[in-house]
Amino acid sequence: MMHFDPTLPLKYWDALLIGLWMSLRLTLICLVLGVALGFLTSQARRARFAPLRALAGLYVELFRGTPVLIQLFWIFYCLPLLLGFEPGNFASAVIALSLYAGAITSETFRASLKSIPREQYDTCRALGITGMSLALWVVAPQALLRAIPTLLSNAVALFKESALISAVGMADLMFIGSSISNRTGRPVEMLTAVAIIYFGVAFPLTRVVGRVEARILRRLAV
Amino acid sequence: MVQDKLLKIHNLHKSYGDLEIFKGLSLSMDRGDRLVIIGPSGGGKSTLLRIVMGLEEIVGGDVYLDGKPYIFRDGGKTRIERKLQARVGMVFQHYTLFPHLDILRNLTLAPIKTRGTSRAEAEEKAMALLTRFGLAAKARAYPSQLSGGQKQRVAIARALMLDPDLLLFDEVTSALDPELVAEVEAVMMELAAAGMPMMIVTHDMHFARNIASRVVFAAGGVVVEDGPPEQVLDAPQVARTREFVERVFARKK
Amino acid sequence: MNYDLQFFYVWQNLDKLGQGLLISLELTVLANLIGLSLGFVIALMLRARTVALRAPASALVEVFRCTPVLIQVVWFFYCVPILFNLFVDPMVMGVLALGLNLAAFNAEGYRAAIQSVPREQYDACSALGLSGWTRVRHVILPHALRAALPVLMTNGITIFQQSALVALVAIPDLMYEGKMLATETYRPIETYTVVALIYFAISAPISLIVQRIEARFDRVQA
Repeated sequence: MMHFDPTLPLKYWDALLIGLWMSLRLTLICLVLGVALGFLTSQARRARFAPLRALAGLYVELFRGTPVLIQLFWIFYCLPLLLGFEPGNFASAVIALSLYAGAITSETFRASLKSIPREQYDTCRALGITGMSLALWVVAPQALLRAIPTLLSNAVALFKESALISAVGMADLMFIGSSISNRTGRPVEMLTAVAIIYFGVAFPLTRVVGRVEARILRRLAV
Repeated sequence: MVQDKLLKIHNLHKSYGDLEIFKGLSLSMDRGDRLVIIGPSGGGKSTLLRIVMGLEEIVGGDVYLDGKPYIFRDGGKTRIERKLQARVGMVFQHYTLFPHLDILRNLTLAPIKTRGTSRAEAEEKAMALLTRFGLAAKARAYPSQLSGGQKQRVAIARALMLDPDLLLFDEVTSALDPELVAEVEAVMMELAAAGMPMMIVTHDMHFARNIASRVVFAAGGVVVEDGPPEQVLDAPQVARTREFVERVFARKK
Repeated sequence: MNYDLQFFYVWQNLDKLGQGLLISLELTVLANLIGLSLGFVIALMLRARTVALRAPASALVEVFRCTPVLIQVVWFFYCVPILFNLFVDPMVMGVLALGLNLAAFNAEGYRAAIQSVPREQYDACSALGLSGWTRVRHVILPHALRAALPVLMTNGITIFQQSALVALVAIPDLMYEGKMLATETYRPIETYTVVALIYFAISAPISLIVQRIEARFDRVQA
């Protein structure tokens, strides 16, 4: 029976924390950019201009229908060749994950927009609220409100996918954890610790999603 | 003659695809009229209201508001005169308040954004209406915190904020629990007493008799009978009407 | 951009990519077999009345849903052999990791589907004297399976994309072969694009079928 030292990860707590910080920072930045991109994309998919609709649709289908790993590899290894310069690791990671986040959040906004009852539009017609006022004061707030629970789930998914940047050599939690695991030759302690840390962030968030959803549903039960 | 009527619907035709809903329906309203439309389910009563509100396309016919052309066909499309549409208000069966705004904001949104009314003026008017309906305490509450009857009264107040010349009520009590129906009907009676012209679709025959100055029985896409409530409800002159009224009132026994 | 595209290198090595694809598909199919069957069992355990059944099922589901797939794959690859003295083909580890992950997500899908059977169906069964296995087989299961189908299919194809991660533990799947080829031929753009398109070509039809099924189900729902 092998001897396991559960205190080993604690000896490296500072390195692991730095890795976690990188993962969290990246997730947050890509989430914000992704949500903005996702909202615009969902609007583009309802545009009257057919080429715009098609382009947006293609973007979403491509990023949802291919492995995130290959999206990452493509941005990291292919984009610099096309651009003629190296955006740098962090920028490349931001580009890749934001594009992914944009694709999944656009689906979220699409669904939330569709879930606005038709009567809301009728009432606005009856009250003379149209165009910009309708979009800004009635549709967008409700679409956003309805999207929040799923957006939180999207955020958790993004956080989990962020572990992939370790595969292109970026020093996130996964990378640092694996490195230490290799160097110390103790994968069980280190990898389990890494898993626990990811879990420690993702699990509470998924619980929050449930509570937020309940609260919003109560507010919308009109 | 047309100038005397508030609303005149002439030879209205409306279809949903192949299904013809109105086959040349005509009716008119005077100022101060409270018109109740009764008829079999699916007979298009709500559709008629929606057309008068400018929410639907028509296939043929004209609608005049205050003698002016309001809804008509023009070059293969339905034309709705927006300025006249703004003078019509509607209250829906499912209140449809804005869930993300509080009651006060629900009332003031349209006047501020579409009529350029100042916030102060709009809020003053809104509070006055809420007080009149006994809902002043709910001004800062959100729709999800109100009962069905309260929400419906707010919906009526919201429509009144725009000073409509004609108010349409589409089965506004059908979705309410019976004990909440009375408070909404009380508000409508009060409006009636104040002289607000109304077009009402309702299932509640007793309420219809109380509020109506005229009752219209519509079936088969046309107006079958049109007259005062004592006639259409109590002593219908057309056999079809009699059949319908007897069935409805028999159910209520 | 001073990079001239030469797809020739890719076409020349299509057979290698094909072999990788076979591995990826093998992983996917086996993972789905585990995921569909085990997932159902776990769903039943989640709904069990005894905590002794509910707790481990719940724990498994939460662990696999709240940690990155990458750490799951890596953990199975490095830690399971040490912990359980089990030294088997890396493929087996890959299938296990992906299979359990899929089972966790499918369990949620099954659970939601079972729960979506309207209360009235149970009432009708009581009124007609149907209960136990008869009720499950003829009323509950058909409705639940039809409701679960879109989710199960979507999850199934997601696992196909997640399978790309086994390349990072040197299992020679499509991603791995693609990476090898890209580095050998110095043609990342052509190689990774083709690999991405292969993944897409397999995922897209399935997700289209899912969309059709969902539309049909919405219509049939009486």
